[in-house]
Amino acid sequence: MNFRRIWVISRKEWTDAFRDRRSFYSLAIGALIGPLLVGFMMNRIAEQRRTADEIKIPIMGRQNAPALVSWLDQQAGIDIIDAPTNPQEAVRSGKTDFVVVIPKNFGEKFNESRPAAIQLVSDSSKQSLQAKVSRVRRLLGAYSAEIGTLRLIARGVSPSVATALTVEDVEISSAQQRAAIIFNMIPLFVVLAAFTTAMQIATDSTAGERERGSLEPLLINPVPKSELVIGKWFAAAMVATGGMLVTLSLITAVLSRVPFQELGVRFTFGAKEASMLLAAALPMALMAPAVQIYLASFAKTFKEAQSYMGFLIMVPTLAGTVSLLYPAGDMPWLRVLPIAGQYLLATDVMGGKAPGPIWFIAAAAMAVALAALFISLTTRLFRSEKIVIGR
Amino acid sequence: MAVNDVSFTAMDGYVTGLLGPNGAGKTTTLRMLYGLLKPDGGSIEVDDIKLNGNPLDVQERLGVLPDVSGLYPRLTSREHIRYYGQLRGLSAAELDTATKNLIEALGMADIIDRRVAGFSHGERTKVAMARALVHHPQNILLDEPTNGLDVMATRAVREVIRRLKGEGRCVLFSSHVMQEVSALCDRIVVIAKGLVVADGTPDEIRNQAGVENLEDAFVALAGQEQHEQ
Repeated sequence: MNFRRIWVISRKEWTDAFRDRRSFYSLAIGALIGPLLVGFMMNRIAEQRRTADEIKIPIMGRQNAPALVSWLDQQAGIDIIDAPTNPQEAVRSGKTDFVVVIPKNFGEKFNESRPAAIQLVSDSSKQSLQAKVSRVRRLLGAYSAEIGTLRLIARGVSPSVATALTVEDVEISSAQQRAAIIFNMIPLFVVLAAFTTAMQIATDSTAGERERGSLEPLLINPVPKSELVIGKWFAAAMVATGGMLVTLSLITAVLSRVPFQELGVRFTFGAKEASMLLAAALPMALMAPAVQIYLASFAKTFKEAQSYMGFLIMVPTLAGTVSLLYPAGDMPWLRVLPIAGQYLLATDVMGGKAPGPIWFIAAAAMAVALAALFISLTTRLFRSEKIVIGR
Repeated sequence: MAVNDVSFTAMDGYVTGLLGPNGAGKTTTLRMLYGLLKPDGGSIEVDDIKLNGNPLDVQERLGVLPDVSGLYPRLTSREHIRYYGQLRGLSAAELDTATKNLIEALGMADIIDRRVAGFSHGERTKVAMARALVHHPQNILLDEPTNGLDVMATRAVREVIRRLKGEGRCVLFSSHVMQEVSALCDRIVVIAKGLVVADGTPDEIRNQAGVENLEDAFVALAGQEQHEQ
């Protein structure tokens, strides 16, 4: 094995790839899409959470319950505004999110200590408003409970008598849930970065060479086919490693700016977690290009190869999604299965309970073995006549 | 089967022409010579080295301009030469000298540091030639080197072939153009339908066909029908 020659081959592939605008853009997109999505979605959630904190409550018939209105007004983040004249129409058409309607007889019933009705007009099909509406409902409930307590005390009854249950809210709000989902998607983005960034160079250096007719003269050089394949693989693998590093460090930077506390989420993601995640995912940067180069070598044209890449990328995407939905539990064999093993390790790292180094080594060994297998299969393909004269 | 029974010897210091109509088996024969196709039978020797079992040793001694020039559009001419030179293990100094000589021999000074994308056919052939000759091979295989070239470029290629012959190297080139072969070759191997139909000097070929003109000889030997394709 002549390492200098392998280096020559890799270096040529890099020069070729980085001069190609198409491949450069696809590289940039591959490495940036994960961090951008994570940043964008985390920001959206934080924003929604903030807007939920500052609620403007349109109240119709404010004059009917001045005490309630002023109590609401005093709550943090609550603003009372005038209601539209036709509340139901306004909510239906989306002009306003919801309306609180206080009927004329409210004061009368309230004073008689009878249940006084209040209408909360909202459209329950609008999911995004549910956080606001339920907050208002809770506020009204709190007011009701407060008044009820006062009334019991006025009649000489201990309020605790009337409280058979106290429900402690352990709230998993939708914001928290969504933040958790995105957080758990990070391994998926990191693994996918290996596939997306290596794709272009893997296809161009194999199917692209065939299409341009440059493979035949290349194969006439007295270079063992294994060196050719390893040179091309190494070029793609280094690009995949770089892509993964960029993705991971940008995600780490993005997460350092996410106000997890504000979101009510207890996540930690710092340099330690990032490097453990890298240790879990890095074998993919070696394996993905090996599989890609093998598949692309079957293709006669760049386009044909790209369609294979499209199918291939579904494997880590599906595996990552499934691992999000169905935690694997204790199936040790899954842990050494390439791709699944990387996801499981990554999930553990994200959950703050990384397993011992032996699991990292086992998963990495399997991925590297698979990379070696595909490299040797590709070498075999390069040795056959079919690579030059078609299938 | 593209090639059925093709046997010939190409000597050092001679230009041997592989002449035949399109589809006669020229490219297939050359591909077997440079080790990309394995013949079902028979043997190939280059400088007394058997190809079978030692393909890399044989390739070591060959410089090949294949059917398609197959360049990398985003690399410059110089980078093409350097890539192949490095693959063949040339040192930096050797590569430097070789590149200088090739620029001069092929008249590439104006295109040496330009990217290949957008090159004319003649310029592309020059780059492919330079790349094939960078390691100073003793044996040179050229698959239709002047195909589709204009007069000036054709002349440049002929010039290079003569020069290689003068240096005592073995040049084997294929063509379906009569004039090309008669202008350059010391020896002609005419093949048709995968068989050698004639083998000898231009005079011997004419005698064999029993006609005065070499082109008539070619037509007579290769068959009218095929030549018209």
